Amino acid sequence: MTPVIPALDPLPLPAPLWLLWALLMLTFTLHVLAMNLVLGGSVVAAVSVWKARRGDPNHKELSRLVGKSMPVAISATVTLGVAALLFLQALYGRVFFTSSALMAWWWFAVVPLVIVAYYSAYAVAFHTRGSSALPYAIAAIFLAIAFVYTNNMTLMVRPEAFREMYATSGRGLTLHLADRMLLPRFLHMVAGAIAIGGLGVVALALLRRAGTADFRMWASRYGSRWFAHATIVNVAVGVWLLGSLPVDTLLQLIGRNAVASAVLAAGILSAGATVAAILAAARSGRPGRMFAVGIGAGLATLALMILTRDFMRRTLLAAAGFEPARWIAPQWGPIAIFGVLLIVAVLLTAWMVATLVRAPAPGSVGSEVLEP
Amino acid sequence: MNYPIWELPASGLLIAVVAVVHVFVAHFAVGGGLFLVLTERKARREGDAALLAFVRTHSRFFALLTLVFGAITGVGIWFTIGLVHPSATSALINTFVWAWAIEWTFFFVEIAAAMVYFYGWDRLTPATHMTVGWIYFWAAWLSLAVINGVLSFMLTPGLWLTTGGFWDGVLNPGYLPSVVARTCGAVGLAGVYALLTASRSGDPVLREKVARYAVLRWIAPMAVLLPASVVWSLHAASAAGVPVREIFGSATGGWLSIVTGIVGGSATGQPIAQLAARVLLAACAGGLVLCGIVLARGRAYGPWLASTVMLSAFLALGAAEWVREDLRKPFVIGNYMFVNSVRLADLRTIDSDGVLKTALWTRLPGDLDARPAETAMPEKGREVFRLECSTCHTIDGHLAIRPLVQGVAPGALDAMLGRLAAPAADQVWEDTQLRLRTWRGRRMPPFAGTRDERRALAVYLAGLGGAPPEAAARYGAEGDVGERFFNENCSMCHGADGDFTFDAKGRSADTLYEMIGRLPRINDAMPPLEASGAERRALAEHLATLHGTARKGGSE
Repeated sequence: MTPVIPALDPLPLPAPLWLLWALLMLTFTLHVLAMNLVLGGSVVAAVSVWKARRGDPNHKELSRLVGKSMPVAISATVTLGVAALLFLQALYGRVFFTSSALMAWWWFAVVPLVIVAYYSAYAVAFHTRGSSALPYAIAAIFLAIAFVYTNNMTLMVRPEAFREMYATSGRGLTLHLADRMLLPRFLHMVAGAIAIGGLGVVALALLRRAGTADFRMWASRYGSRWFAHATIVNVAVGVWLLGSLPVDTLLQLIGRNAVASAVLAAGILSAGATVAAILAAARSGRPGRMFAVGIGAGLATLALMILTRDFMRRTLLAAAGFEPARWIAPQWGPIAIFGVLLIVAVLLTAWMVATLVRAPAPGSVGSEVLEP
Repeated sequence: MNYPIWELPASGLLIAVVAVVHVFVAHFAVGGGLFLVLTERKARREGDAALLAFVRTHSRFFALLTLVFGAITGVGIWFTIGLVHPSATSALINTFVWAWAIEWTFFFVEIAAAMVYFYGWDRLTPATHMTVGWIYFWAAWLSLAVINGVLSFMLTPGLWLTTGGFWDGVLNPGYLPSVVARTCGAVGLAGVYALLTASRSGDPVLREKVARYAVLRWIAPMAVLLPASVVWSLHAASAAGVPVREIFGSATGGWLSIVTGIVGGSATGQPIAQLAARVLLAACAGGLVLCGIVLARGRAYGPWLASTVMLSAFLALGAAEWVREDLRKPFVIGNYMFVNSVRLADLRTIDSDGVLKTALWTRLPGDLDARPAETAMPEKGREVFRLECSTCHTIDGHLAIRPLVQGVAPGALDAMLGRLAAPAADQVWEDTQLRLRTWRGRRMPPFAGTRDERRALAVYLAGLGGAPPEAAARYGAEGDVGERFFNENCSMCHGADGDFTFDAKGRSADTLYEMIGRLPRINDAMPPLEASGAERRALAEHLATLHGTARKGGSE
């Protein structure tokens, strides 16, 4: 069908496109990092809770640790996601509002789902009960939210599907399940989140002074395995995702567009380097430095893949006739104020967090810290 | 019109529900922060371990409520307005993306400070802990101060309408009273929530101490200042051109007159806005009485009484928001965009090209052009209704349309649709100081579309109201002779906006047929009727429908 894209807003865009784009990339990358820790962490925690049923002390400790970190990670995900959503709306509001309205109930459902999962995460953090089914529910809810998000983010780059979907129903109950990109994109994102969740376990084991040295060693190796396995699976899923793209977009990514192809290739190489570093660290007696290299390479992979994702979106939308705003009237005063306040916010937050982390823990770092 | 309409019956209600729930927690998130840090300081200065333990318990409740429910319902408003009012959201984003970005930096600090404060009770020194508390409070209040700019802008956009400037939009005429009102609400709520937490304490001495502190320092002053600042907001809105006087039926836009209009009631005001304002005043007064009971009962008050105080606070805040929303009607952004997403600047284009052509997301049957007029017309009308009316009206549910059109002839409906909002006599739609004329005080957007589309909507509505399909179809095809005759010859004096609005007062078409044959004898200012027999009959039938055109068997 012919793509249908709403008209440009008759008001000017209050910032240059590059600035909004840069802020979108920055905040979205940070959001995805936190989101991956939440989604991947919740899956890893649910598996550990399952394995701890038979009394495995390492899994029990790991699920406790991940459970305790979950509320902070969710909070970071939401906070960073708000900024990414803002800049997304500024740049792509026309297709984003449209796709959201077409699947309105599903999109709206994200709000109560996050509330339920968030409160459940606090319940787990405060009362670590081995028999609780909450960790499974949390993982299931976050997977469901991820599926809704993948639907909307995929649908918004498919303006050619809008008209038919709306003709079928305007009630906002339909999803665009027939999209070839949907399933591989969802699986690619989930596998990536699990991989980063595995890295999160490694970081947690290295950074937290909790548990014995044996546990920390076990946890860092266990997290490494999650990372490596999920990443290897993701190579296959990534190929599937590439194959599901329209031919022109695919060709751009594998040679026709030099920059996009280089970014994708760098991302793949970076993923390989991350796996190698993490596996080497897991086998090493003193893994700290190698893990740090692996985590750094993992973050670079994430950023490169997000750039590739952005390229795919711009290419698909351009093919559908989407044109960015042309009337731009930058509000430099408010932009400068935002810039200054952003620096102040980061410094203030860093000071507060550093003060808390450096402060002596009262007795042991246990539930009493989390339960004032 | 630029975006697909989510076919959710009365979707505006969804925004109201999400917003009121969020507002109740979000204001607590601001005032509660101030309460925590001031009460912690008080407890430490007085060396009161029990009070300090209370603050700590209260901070846990505070964190769980604001970090999760408050933050996520705030995002929920984003989601909801994007779904229900995408055009308005787009306009706001294009105007205020940096206001939201600035607000986000405060939100960011607010969330981090809340967590550090919450997790830092045993780990931070008292001085550092309280510093974090102050950082929290100021970040939260600044977040409120920025968002208030956007919210008050939507009611009183002021100079922005001519300049399009960021600061003209944020620091609009309603900004200051509104930010004071919100701060009062936030501070008062902090006391109310503290009262609730303390009511569950097993320590009667602490319970009484917190109750006296919360009531005398936090709740009672704000129960007075909140309604006062709301009246100030109304006064400022009136000065900025919002028809506050008409809505509350007050004699002038002055403070006293507004209060008198609200309390004393008026036959001319808007019942819903008046009711909401009265609920606000009554809830504040009732809250004060309940606070008196709490003080009188001393240690003996419990969660039930505290919950009743909370209910009155919920009613007060909800009512205040309702008043604001109601004042804004029929706009979603004052003098810029109507609630049905039609921009004032687009009205002329839609009137000439038609709403069905200009709307991007119509849902008409594919074979419509091939259908006969009697079936095509109601279909077109249904779609016009969906595009222009369904944001507020349902068929049979909230703000139901069917009871309003029951038994009303298509001609009468058509005429009524032509009399919805219009610019004041000396103005045009493009006027930045626009004042609206409304039909019988109903603050609805004007009908936007061609003459044919208006007729189609009238036919559809008449069908909903039980009009026989053939009569509706005939009207759709030919128009109503009586109504046309009335509009052309009588409506300048007897139309809805005329000096002598006609009301049939229950007289039958036969009686009216006889009466219009002797017009100069009824009133010598009226000329004799010059009409054919068929026209006279049609006019009489049309006149008979004008008694209570909005409701079958309406008031005399």
